[in-house]
Amino acid sequence: MRKLKGRTLIGLQHKLGKWTITVILSLYSAIVAAYPVFYTVLNSLKTRLSYAKNRFGFPTSPTLENYADVFSRFNFFRLLFNSFITTLGGVALCTVVAFLAAYAVTKMRIRGSSFIFLLIVATLMIPNQTIMCPLYQTALDMKLVGQYYGLILVYAAFGLPLGTFLIAAYFRGIPDEILEAARIDGANHIQILTRVMFPISIPAVATLAIINMVWMWNDLLLPLLILSQEQRTTLMVAISLIRTQYDVHVPLISAGLAIGMLPVIVTYLLFQRQLVKGMTAGAVKS
Amino acid sequence: MRGVILMGGSARKELMSKASHGMPETTKAGPYVRSAARKRCTSDFWWGLLFILPAVSLVAIFKIFPLSRGLYDSLFHFAGGWRPEFIGFDNFKRMFGDPVAHKAFFNGVKVMATLPVWVFFPLVLAFLIFQRSPGWRFFQVLFFLPYTIAPIIVGQMFREILSVNGPVNALLKATGLSVLANPWLGSKTTALWAMVAVVLWSFNGLGVVVYLAGLATISEDIFDAASIDGVGFWGKITRIVLPMIWPVIGYWTVLCTGGMLLWMFPFIHALTEGGPGYASMLPEYLVYMTAFRFFERGYGTAIGVALFIFVLGFTFFQVRYMYIIGASEGKK
Repeated sequence: MRKLKGRTLIGLQHKLGKWTITVILSLYSAIVAAYPVFYTVLNSLKTRLSYAKNRFGFPTSPTLENYADVFSRFNFFRLLFNSFITTLGGVALCTVVAFLAAYAVTKMRIRGSSFIFLLIVATLMIPNQTIMCPLYQTALDMKLVGQYYGLILVYAAFGLPLGTFLIAAYFRGIPDEILEAARIDGANHIQILTRVMFPISIPAVATLAIINMVWMWNDLLLPLLILSQEQRTTLMVAISLIRTQYDVHVPLISAGLAIGMLPVIVTYLLFQRQLVKGMTAGAVKS
Repeated sequence: MRGVILMGGSARKELMSKASHGMPETTKAGPYVRSAARKRCTSDFWWGLLFILPAVSLVAIFKIFPLSRGLYDSLFHFAGGWRPEFIGFDNFKRMFGDPVAHKAFFNGVKVMATLPVWVFFPLVLAFLIFQRSPGWRFFQVLFFLPYTIAPIIVGQMFREILSVNGPVNALLKATGLSVLANPWLGSKTTALWAMVAVVLWSFNGLGVVVYLAGLATISEDIFDAASIDGVGFWGKITRIVLPMIWPVIGYWTVLCTGGMLLWMFPFIHALTEGGPGYASMLPEYLVYMTAFRFFERGYGTAIGVALFIFVLGFTFFQVRYMYIIGASEGKK
């Protein structure tokens, strides 16, 4: 973001106009953007009985028993662990592979490097839904179904098009002279990557890591295909089944949903600038 | 080295690199280093191959190979896991005669008809935030929040909110609009639209930040200059803001048109599973149902291939755009 002084850019010079906008935005955010989350969290703090009596109000005596219940009934720690390990693995693998590929494509003189770049980015055009069936078959053939590393590999592959694009776009902005200087000093490619390129491109790597973390943590289709067994499935797959198991117990379901969204919301609030920057990459040339 | 300085950027870098290795300068430096630096080049080639190999093999194994396998599989009939039988284009013929597939693709077209809302609603919000009235930073953070919540969780949340006794209907009844109260997801007329509204709730924030990023590129000086020239509020919008963020609007439109048929899977899974009947069925969910619930691999894949062709035009523009940005230096 540029320097922002809180001044009005276009017309509406009066304070009144500004405050009208604030009121409109507040109403919208309160009613539309925030309420559904708020409603879910409120319900998760009610007992089953108090929910039946009082659906929409504040809980009279807030309780955390639903959360305790969710953790005991769902083997929640196991689910969290599964989600964590596949997300972290996917993020790490995708970042490293995209980093290497972007370096080769942008900073090394290789015949056909722009074709390879195009090949990787163009796979973005293949919808997950089109290939879900053959992908599942391929994963079966390779004995990847039911394995953590199976989902990690698939996550990395699906994160690569955007990842390579983001890091390559960042690398293009790094002047070649820096690399030449390192080469003159006798650095080989590995040293250039770890000691020159990586420190410079930490912002891009962080952005990519956060974007990947959000979609991998939130994804449903790929874990549904690769890790559908109860012991190794991810949190999101479990949440997709939550209603079939406890159909009428709304507070319990709400507690499960609240726990499920918490990690990403916290990450977002901590790193919102990087995340927004990455999400808008491609929209604006910078 | 004097001649070097007169050359353009990339050619100069190339020559400098050669000079640094004590190699004779060639008169013409192309994008690929010529014979004089062959040694460097070959070692670069092997390292490059090593760096590219993981990315290319991941993409080849998990995206390109499944796609070609899918194209191939769509020509077969898989009867209960026995030996597949080659049936040519029969799966596609069947799809053209299948009322459920018709319904799904027609629903897809209906969803696409809501595109103007997807494009202009976030634009209006972004524009309001852009005015930087008190609290705008807070709103910017808050509006993006829904996008970070997992679609499956959003779906489960809204299943409660849109249920017969949920807050939406309670609000309608409380305000004397009980005529409008409706089992939103359980009625054939509203299920699809209710689902689109939920997806819009989820993706709206992404649109807002994309537009805000575009608006931020407009220089304040332009507005100052326009003010001096006496251009009014609407004049600034129509003659400065819209023309300047036109490419961003285009980008977001392309992203939405391709995406709105592909982002919905977890929402359908959580909200309606395509029901009631097939009222909210979309092609992407039909692929899943056909292949994994009815175990018709060949037919399911054929629908997937049709979906691929259906959205190809839109996603193509997105990739072209990214390629132009990403390769802009290298393809000079």
